[in-house]
Amino acid sequence: MIALDSGVDRRTTAKHRPRATMSFRSVVGRVLGWTLLGAFAVAVLYPVLWMVLSGFKDNQEVFNQPWGLPGELRWENYARAWDLGVTRYFTNSVIVTSASIVATTLISAWAAYGLCRLKLPFGNGVALLVLGGLLLSPTVALIPLFRLLTAIGLFDTYWALIVLYTAFRIPFTIFLIRAYMIELPRSVDEAATIDGATRAQIFWRVILPMSRPILVSAALLQALFAWNEFAFALVFVSDESLKTLPVGLVSMQSRLLTDWPVVLAGLTIAALPTILLFLIGQRQFLRGLTEGVGK
Amino acid sequence: MGALLTRWRAWVWVLPAVALLLVFVYYPIVDNLRLSFFSWNAFSPEPRFVGVDNYTEMFTDPVFWRALLNNVAYAVVSLVFQAGLSLVLAALLEELVGKRLRGLLRTLYFIPAAMSITVAGVLFSFLYNPRYGLVNEALQAVGLGHLARAWLGEESSAIWSVIAMSQWQSIGYTAVLFVVAMQRIPREYYEAAKVDGSGAVRTFFSITLPMVREMTTLIVILTISGAFLVFNEVMVMTAGGPDNSSQVLGTWLYRKAFFEDDMGYAASVATVIFVITFAIAAGQLALSRRRRYDS
Amino acid sequence: MNKHRWSALSLATLIVAAAGCGGGGTSATPGKADLAAPKEKSGTLTMVTKFANPEYAPYFEKVVAEYKKANPKVDIKLEQVGDQAYKDKIRVLSASRDLPDIYFSWAGDFANKFVRAGLAADLTSVIGPSTQWGSTFAPAALKAFEYGGKNYGMPLDLDGKYLAYNKAVFDKAGVTVPASFEDLLTACDKLKATGVQPIAFGNQYGWAAIHYITQLNAYDVPAKTLTSDYTPATGAFTDPGYVTALKQFSDLVGRCGTKDANGLSHETAQAQFLSGKAGMHYLESVEFEAVDKAKPPLDWSFFRLPAPSGAAGDPSALTGAPDGFLVNAQSKNAGLAVDFLKFMTSQQNAAALTKDLGWLSPVKGSASTANANKQLTDALADMDKAGNFAIWLDTITHAEVASAYLSGVEGMLSGSKSPEQVMTGVREAAAKAKKEVG
Repeated sequence: MIALDSGVDRRTTAKHRPRATMSFRSVVGRVLGWTLLGAFAVAVLYPVLWMVLSGFKDNQEVFNQPWGLPGELRWENYARAWDLGVTRYFTNSVIVTSASIVATTLISAWAAYGLCRLKLPFGNGVALLVLGGLLLSPTVALIPLFRLLTAIGLFDTYWALIVLYTAFRIPFTIFLIRAYMIELPRSVDEAATIDGATRAQIFWRVILPMSRPILVSAALLQALFAWNEFAFALVFVSDESLKTLPVGLVSMQSRLLTDWPVVLAGLTIAALPTILLFLIGQRQFLRGLTEGVGK
Repeated sequence: MGALLTRWRAWVWVLPAVALLLVFVYYPIVDNLRLSFFSWNAFSPEPRFVGVDNYTEMFTDPVFWRALLNNVAYAVVSLVFQAGLSLVLAALLEELVGKRLRGLLRTLYFIPAAMSITVAGVLFSFLYNPRYGLVNEALQAVGLGHLARAWLGEESSAIWSVIAMSQWQSIGYTAVLFVVAMQRIPREYYEAAKVDGSGAVRTFFSITLPMVREMTTLIVILTISGAFLVFNEVMVMTAGGPDNSSQVLGTWLYRKAFFEDDMGYAASVATVIFVITFAIAAGQLALSRRRRYDS
Repeated sequence: MNKHRWSALSLATLIVAAAGCGGGGTSATPGKADLAAPKEKSGTLTMVTKFANPEYAPYFEKVVAEYKKANPKVDIKLEQVGDQAYKDKIRVLSASRDLPDIYFSWAGDFANKFVRAGLAADLTSVIGPSTQWGSTFAPAALKAFEYGGKNYGMPLDLDGKYLAYNKAVFDKAGVTVPASFEDLLTACDKLKATGVQPIAFGNQYGWAAIHYITQLNAYDVPAKTLTSDYTPATGAFTDPGYVTALKQFSDLVGRCGTKDANGLSHETAQAQFLSGKAGMHYLESVEFEAVDKAKPPLDWSFFRLPAPSGAAGDPSALTGAPDGFLVNAQSKNAGLAVDFLKFMTSQQNAAALTKDLGWLSPVKGSASTANANKQLTDALADMDKAGNFAIWLDTITHAEVASAYLSGVEGMLSGSKSPEQVMTGVREAAAKAKKEVG
């Protein structure tokens, strides 16, 4: 487990540092350091702010006063972006993302439990298969998947994306959840077995609720992935009415090339959910990230 | 017999995951290798065996090497910024900033990473616009108007402009990972250093850097393999142009497969991506294994 | 179980690969579809278009609804997708041999690919120039869908590429409509002197430049050579006219355009023209409507990109092409499909195409002052004079050649490639295309 802002923060002691150590050099260093931090904050924030504000401007303002504030809040730009397809892309993204979250976390948790609590014939083989899955990149599979999905009739359906988002994220998610489950005491299972519960009952009633924190992390990371995925969504869905946000935005940009404010409003609408999700679930997000890359 | 059946019944747990992995991850990757020895397109779907022709053609194609070189450029720049600069940022954040503000800045820095690459890409294609883009406006405003150019439209600057956007998006992300790693360092180490009278810079090199070595290795590997898989941002911002100057392996594969109808060649590009990313990922795995034995 | 799933899947792939492949991509099995009008009009037709845009879609929906109303026993499943999406969709549908009865096609090699793969029905017997239906079309439009002397497509609309010009800007610079390519360059110098951009030009995705090259190739290369080079099986691209065309284009951009064209979209450039900041803009007649909607209104007219003096090619060729529909060679309802297409190109529906969408129809006499503005009727009159359509270079040639041209010209514009180097790339691509079609 990682300690994220939990417990005592060692930096609080920095205040008690003796003043004498604040030599001239360290003052210069501090000024430089703060400048860097501040400059980076501005560099990060400004484009995002510009995007949101320009979404309220009209074309004249965007082109002639790129640095200025919008003359008035033109919500109609957002409404227009919404009407011009963002509604549909947004709905599609919600459908694909939520379905793949449910499928990925459940299938992975189910498998993770099997892998860390049961003796399977060829269990090591399965573990290796999952591990290997971490090493394979989706781009490589693009052409064969194109053939495969066409042949089994999944091309140009929600299912194409749901199935692929699930399949390609299972290895990562299994590892994430397994690392957590391993640390759950076995005594819990044993107690439940004595009460006469079956394996499946233990999983649903005991293990799954106990793994809630990591499941939330896994779900959030899957949301970030599925909401933003582009390559599969570009190749395997061609019907305008099935497009997800990332691909839809690009096609919207190519249709509305001269109407910047509306496209920028569309971008803002698309960016909002994941940014909000991150702000709300920051802790779980970071846990998942560091567990995922760290252990 | 009964016992055997019971043992195999445990496979119920891993079956869904294994089936998905085999069909949608492993089979396509193996199939890709096979397909790279054939020539076909969607309109004459009967693959014709051509031996290593696709590979010969690819290795003598200057665009392929250009794409590979662009991937390498991506990796090098990303290393400097996402492993180097973000480490400095993280250390500054830890050293200078009080707890409250630090949380705020950390959240802020992460925001671009929570936006989809597509949104960031479309946003930056506006910023890079030669006529109305903020980048040129800013240059003009500070008297550097002669540097203004069609950032994404010139061969000399297209790929670098895309790479720059990518840094904007990812530095915050890796900085946050470094922050998390730094918070795991026991604070006694720093107190001891203080007693010894070490300055901030020396403490950084003698304590922080060695203690986040593990995270650094990981970020280095993630950054490199990410650089070889890059697709979205190039697709959205330049689609590989002008004159294929900003092509990377992923987009070159896409153009060959779905634009020039040369599926076999595209499959051989995919094989190259596979070999590179697999080697990097296997390296990561070997490293983390060794680390586990070491500790 | 996994194993079964596995082999079932690869089997499915095999079946897809094997079906409809009568040996090699080139030996076109001519469509055996029965084109005769059915005795009783009933059944289900499937149709896919690329007109999903909200401006275009209603027209097609309307025509379908009217046909269904007139023939209650017929059901038409109309699916409309976007421009880019269509290219992917149709590729998949043909790979899985799942083509609809009627499908959209651009003229040129895009359509010919279907013909070569035996996927397009031979419509000569119903739409050939000597047939009753065929005689209602402008001959040049029909010809655009001709392959090996046979007619495979029904032209839907007419599209020509013209230089639109702002009369006020021209007057101010004392410029008149240039009669030759050289005059055009001189005019550009004069326009520049008055502080306006002579030609608004954005080439972000490469095709905008290709449209100029299409026209210049037609002017500079003898028609016969051009036809042979644009055909994948015989493409050589050795004529010196190709290099001349590229050089002329280079001059044109240097004197009339801007350096940042590769980073600018066609639409941004168009906006510049619409706001009166540029003298000219090279656009398609289907875009005329956008110019008419300019605010404040623009006093404008158009002319063809003038031919260079003494050019070796066809000075009467006009860049442009009809878009059209093909009929699936395997269709069980080919007769019905033809009947529907006839309905779509009736005088009334053709006139509605012009009125509703601002597009010109290849059906003779469909545009008049009643349903079209002056520029459109002028364009129609001009297209009638055109000896030949020079079909878009990026759709008439094999995809490899098109791609080499697209990126090569981009490279030339940004100064990294000479015209000769561009042509070397094109020749290599042509050699590859030749090998591919066998």
